[in-house]
Amino acid sequence: MKTSLFGLLAALAVGATTAAGAADLKAGEAKVKEVCQACHGLDGNTPTPDYPKLGGQRPDYLAKALRDYKSGARKNAVMGAFAAALTPQDIDNLAAYYAAQPAVLIVKH
Amino acid sequence: MKLTPLCTALALLVVPATAWCQGSLIGNPVAGEQKDQMCGGCHGIDGWRTAYPEVYGVPKIGGQHPAYIVKALQEYKSGERTHPSMRAIAASLSDQDMADLAAYYGGSGAGVASK
Repeated sequence: MKTSLFGLLAALAVGATTAAGAADLKAGEAKVKEVCQACHGLDGNTPTPDYPKLGGQRPDYLAKALRDYKSGARKNAVMGAFAAALTPQDIDNLAAYYAAQPAVLIVKH
Repeated sequence: MKLTPLCTALALLVVPATAWCQGSLIGNPVAGEQKDQMCGGCHGIDGWRTAYPEVYGVPKIGGQHPAYIVKALQEYKSGERTHPSMRAIAASLSDQDMADLAAYYGGSGAGVASK
């Protein structure tokens, strides 16, 4: 009983996270190759010091950053222009794709 | 007149060593670790989430480029980036504090690869 209850809760939790995102990693990769790769790299871990590394970053943080660039809440001429052309689905896909790449970023403590 | 060539020579020596940091400030990772009290409560806890004004995972900044960390802190300080907690914290930081924190977070060291 305990196991099945746990299984049910786990299934609900997984359902909740996937329903919110419903991200398509393949579509994310395609969009990365088209739009992001030149600066951030295909795996998100650019060696260029002025551009942030994105590989393994939190997906909801990445999505928020893109939404803020798109809305103008966060201002950057280059990112604003790129984000303006992204749909909300593109943003979820891109965020999920970069978050799924091998992480160079760590939680330091 | 005598000083100018000397200054130029010194600048040429110093610039390559500090090219990784912003301006002419050299970040000290040990000093940065000592200034981490305001940062670690959110950025040092794996899986920590913001509570206000929007809920999302606090970004991982360990291993990030130091130049980008300094830029982000400057943008919070100037108000260009708007997260309330980060604005308040960055407002209290000097340029040297920012360089030190960037050197600490951007350098290698203990951390978890996280999920």
